[in-house]
Amino acid sequence: MNEEAVAAIESKVKDIVVDVLRVNRSELNPSTHLMKDLGADSLDALDVALAVEKTFNIKIPDESLSSFLTIGDIVRGISQYESLSRAIISG
Amino acid sequence: MRRVVVTGIGMITPLGMECESVWSALCAGKSGISKIEKFDVSELKSTIAGICHDFQALEFFDEREKLRLDRASQLALAAATVATRDAKLDDRELDSYDTGVILGTGYGGIESTEEGYGSYYGHGRRSAITVPKAMSNAAASNISIRFKSRGPNMTISTACSSGANAIGQAYHMIRFGIVERMITGGVDAPITPVVMDHWQFLRVLSTKNELPLQACKPFSANRDGFVLAEGTGIVILEALDRALERGAHIYGEIVGYASTADASHITLPDSEGESEAMRGALKDARLVPADIQYINAHGTATKFNDSSETKAIKQVFGERAYDIPVSSIKAALGHSMGASGAVEFIATILAIERNLMPPTINYEEPDPECDLDYVTGGARPLSTREGLRTALSNSFGFGGNNAVLVARQYAE
Repeated sequence: MNEEAVAAIESKVKDIVVDVLRVNRSELNPSTHLMKDLGADSLDALDVALAVEKTFNIKIPDESLSSFLTIGDIVRGISQYESLSRAIISG
Repeated sequence: MRRVVVTGIGMITPLGMECESVWSALCAGKSGISKIEKFDVSELKSTIAGICHDFQALEFFDEREKLRLDRASQLALAAATVATRDAKLDDRELDSYDTGVILGTGYGGIESTEEGYGSYYGHGRRSAITVPKAMSNAAASNISIRFKSRGPNMTISTACSSGANAIGQAYHMIRFGIVERMITGGVDAPITPVVMDHWQFLRVLSTKNELPLQACKPFSANRDGFVLAEGTGIVILEALDRALERGAHIYGEIVGYASTADASHITLPDSEGESEAMRGALKDARLVPADIQYINAHGTATKFNDSSETKAIKQVFGERAYDIPVSSIKAALGHSMGASGAVEFIATILAIERNLMPPTINYEEPDPECDLDYVTGGARPLSTREGLRTALSNSFGFGGNNAVLVARQYAE
């Protein structure tokens, strides 16, 4: 996946985090942790995951939720999922 | 058994959210009913409601907190904040197993429930927060979380008598020594498109849409139903000894409570169940009918309620019923469902403390089936007969759920 595509995903993820947690976009960078930095609790994290699933049309397995807690991890997770599904389609 | 007093008041109503200004407006005969503007009403027969325009959620919550709370929880939390401050309770008294919360609500987080259904059927974003926002006990739980009040935490749902039953149960818990104080009352925020739609089919809502301020006419022959409203009333009930120890202001004493079920019909009232609730509350208070100087009526302005309530009052008080002033403040505030019994209990406590009965506004035509003294000519003092000023607050809910509270002027 090229840099441009990753940047587009990151921008959409930030939109979601701003919408769900009502934080300033300028606070957000790849290492920002939803709980440690933004004061989210488990319900907020679930709501972010739900919005990510809906926006990117992906399914986040329950056991993967705990690795969807920084902006960077969320973007990586989505990128991997998209690359994987593209590989399956083209393969 | 211990005595229980009211030491704090908080309310949010269509007539405002400062206790003093709401009280003044009620006694001045004002109405808070307005046209619904926040959603499309073109399919509705009744397009007016009691809406709490003065409530600004962001004065009490930040953006994220607001997003996590249904409007019912927002209203109850805000009023609980006002009530605990009014009672001058400190953190140590609130953060205690001796402080509990009992709230009444008919609808719980109905706006969030509706949003949840909407998103399920394709309108808007589905949310992981819907369950904790929508559940009926959310408001009571949010109060305990905010104030760290760790005693009994319960939610009572008996339709329009929810708030009165909550206060009654809280009163008994303090009286019997289970807790020292309670944050109690009722809340409902049902002004939503779907709830308005449901109610219109029962044909109990006023359709005098062109004159919102005059729409609701309790006990008047030309009444055509109630006006749905949102709101909340929260009181701090406290064991008398605890209140005296901390030198708290005492608004009045709660001395009796009873609840009965009509066991008759799911929506039609039955005067027998209602009168038995009044008798039970008097017995609980160890008072006799002659001690009662004022009745704050359920007074919804439906044909059935007003005649049934009038009949029930006559069954309890006999000929003396004609000498007891009875007023309904639902014409001014609308019918806030599970909150109404709590808001009206507050009005009853203020009436006995200040020796002034709020009037029944919009009364125009005598109805032979409603022939009591409904305080129609403006606010006036309670009877000057000897004895402590004492009043009943009636609440009768769909399902045949009746609750009556007895409030008395405080004296050592």
